[in-house]
Amino acid sequence: MRSFFLPVALGALILAFWLNPSVQDIAAGVAIFLFGMMMLEDGFRLLGGGVLERILQASTRSTPRAVLFGAVSTALLQSSSLVSVITISFLSTGLISLIGGVGVIFGANIGTTTGAWLVAGLGLKVNIAAFAMPMIALSIVLVFQKVRPLRGIGYALAGMGFLFLGIHYMKVGFDSFKDEIDLARFAIDGVAGLVIFSLIGAVATVVMQSSHATMTLIITALAAGQITYDNALALAIGANIGTTITAIIGALSANFQGKRLALAHFVFNTLTAFVALVLIVPLREFVDWLSAALGIGAADYALKLAVFHTVFNLLGLGLMLPALTPLIAFLTRRIPKPRLDISEPHFLSDAVDGFPETLETALRKELVHLYENAAGILLKGLNLNQQQVYDSDDIPALVRASRQPVEIDMDAAYEQRVKTLYAAIVDYATHIGSDDQHPERIERIHALRDVASDIVQAVKSVKHLRKNILHHTTTERGAVTEIYDDLRAEIARIVAEIRTLGQTPPESRSALWLDQERATVEDRARHTTQKVDALIRSRHLSAADATSFLNDSSYAFAAMRDLIEAARSFYIERDPAIAAVEHLVSLDLDEMHETLKGDIQR
Amino acid sequence: MGLKKLTEKLAAYFERLETGKAQKIKPDHVHKVLDKLRAKEAELRDKLAHAETDEQRARLQQKLKVTEEHIARAEYLLTAIGREG
Repeated sequence: MRSFFLPVALGALILAFWLNPSVQDIAAGVAIFLFGMMMLEDGFRLLGGGVLERILQASTRSTPRAVLFGAVSTALLQSSSLVSVITISFLSTGLISLIGGVGVIFGANIGTTTGAWLVAGLGLKVNIAAFAMPMIALSIVLVFQKVRPLRGIGYALAGMGFLFLGIHYMKVGFDSFKDEIDLARFAIDGVAGLVIFSLIGAVATVVMQSSHATMTLIITALAAGQITYDNALALAIGANIGTTITAIIGALSANFQGKRLALAHFVFNTLTAFVALVLIVPLREFVDWLSAALGIGAADYALKLAVFHTVFNLLGLGLMLPALTPLIAFLTRRIPKPRLDISEPHFLSDAVDGFPETLETALRKELVHLYENAAGILLKGLNLNQQQVYDSDDIPALVRASRQPVEIDMDAAYEQRVKTLYAAIVDYATHIGSDDQHPERIERIHALRDVASDIVQAVKSVKHLRKNILHHTTTERGAVTEIYDDLRAEIARIVAEIRTLGQTPPESRSALWLDQERATVEDRARHTTQKVDALIRSRHLSAADATSFLNDSSYAFAAMRDLIEAARSFYIERDPAIAAVEHLVSLDLDEMHETLKGDIQR
Repeated sequence: MGLKKLTEKLAAYFERLETGKAQKIKPDHVHKVLDKLRAKEAELRDKLAHAETDEQRARLQQKLKVTEEHIARAEYLLTAIGREG
């Protein structure tokens, strides 16, 4: 289907250009308009620097706020697709609820109607091409600046300039077109006209991937008298349906939350379109009355179309808002949450790429996922049960009681549950390392990548221990079992401590809790050789077992250090001033030794 | 309480602050850390009272000592930034 589309579209355009040169102006106008929208989106992305994301998070605490945010942000950005993409990225990382996301999408539908007002009210009444040229010329100077906000302003200004230029060309094209062909003679009255022109509006929007562009085309054609007002109303209804098809195609690659949002959008727009088609006569009369009340001339069909567009979308909002809870239940039932594959990334996806703040949150959540997978492998590798370790009040006793071998292929588990996640984390963390981002954020994201590296190293270290753990701890072998049990207990205790830290609310936890764990590890590492020497002298340990153990213990202590370092970096205070306080208050190893003089267990 | 290294760290912090490379610490920031530390201290004391084995008691006592040291240093820091500020 797709392989046919491109040659057919190109062929149709070339044929139309050959038949009537005025089509070139109209088609170029649409192309310039769409290009302007893309530049506007890029500009706002550069200019935003996470502002939009921060506002979005705060705005979805209640449905009215979410709707208001969707409406205002779309009206300001003149792009419902940008607002939708950000909303999908937030939903997929769990930063906002589905009901909040649906509220934003409903609001965006209202916000997008401001585009028709701008075109009908400003675009057709003022010579906007006169503004377009200086805007484009000035913008290019800004686009070449290194400072990110200036570049953002440059792109947004250029986008606005191209939008104006596109509208101008569409207007010029339709004006000269009407001298040659009167498209209005193809007007169709009655129900057939409603249905056929709604379909044309939907198809045009799917082809142009923008209801804003379709509306602009409809308004300029209407102003040039190339279509009738009745058919324009049907086209506008069709454009609303077409835009949902664009969203559905976009959501095919999104996760289940993105699909739910696209379905909500489809339900909203289709139901609204259906009601508008059924109530077209009273709606038209209401628009005539409202337009007169607003001082809009009876023959100003372009502005009346803008009024209609707003009124029927508001009607949809009025119909759908009371049904929001059943709609959410329907969406959740229709598109169930898939069973998560623990070997696949849960939070890092293309939906978060391009939104640095969301990406940082997704990275943090993916790291917790990686840690949980790694902890499971580590503990199984030590012949321990993860849940029993988390539930235990006495880990050394649990370790002594755990003599049954736990089945695990460490290499396969590492490949499936750690390496894939680590690769995704490195991939996404590296993406952000471009000069487009805030340096502090890049630093934080690179620190998160290092956390992942520490976790991976810890798993690799425990892989080295596995053979001797199986050999020495599944049957009672005296001193050698005891010293291996000590290592198992130390690692398990650190894994459990880190989990407790993660479960403590952020306002109550501190990376300082790990100071003492670090000191204990270093102290144990220092005294391991002495302890082994004593066991050899007392003939409780053979020289062969001792060398194996010393080798294994170096891997075990490396794993402990990596885990503690990972947790310290991950749970570091995000407020720089409080992080500075914690840095000052924390104890280095010498200070810790001084504090615990004689206390640390030997 | 060995405060020599803390004093050195604090001097380095004030240098960074002067060059704009560090965020200014206000008493409120220290109080937030102190609140966490005191809550942790209370939690450890409670756990210690209910500890069942000598090993658990020994570990909890160590943690308590470290937390008390953190609190002492945070209180010192509070006074120090009060003098500077």
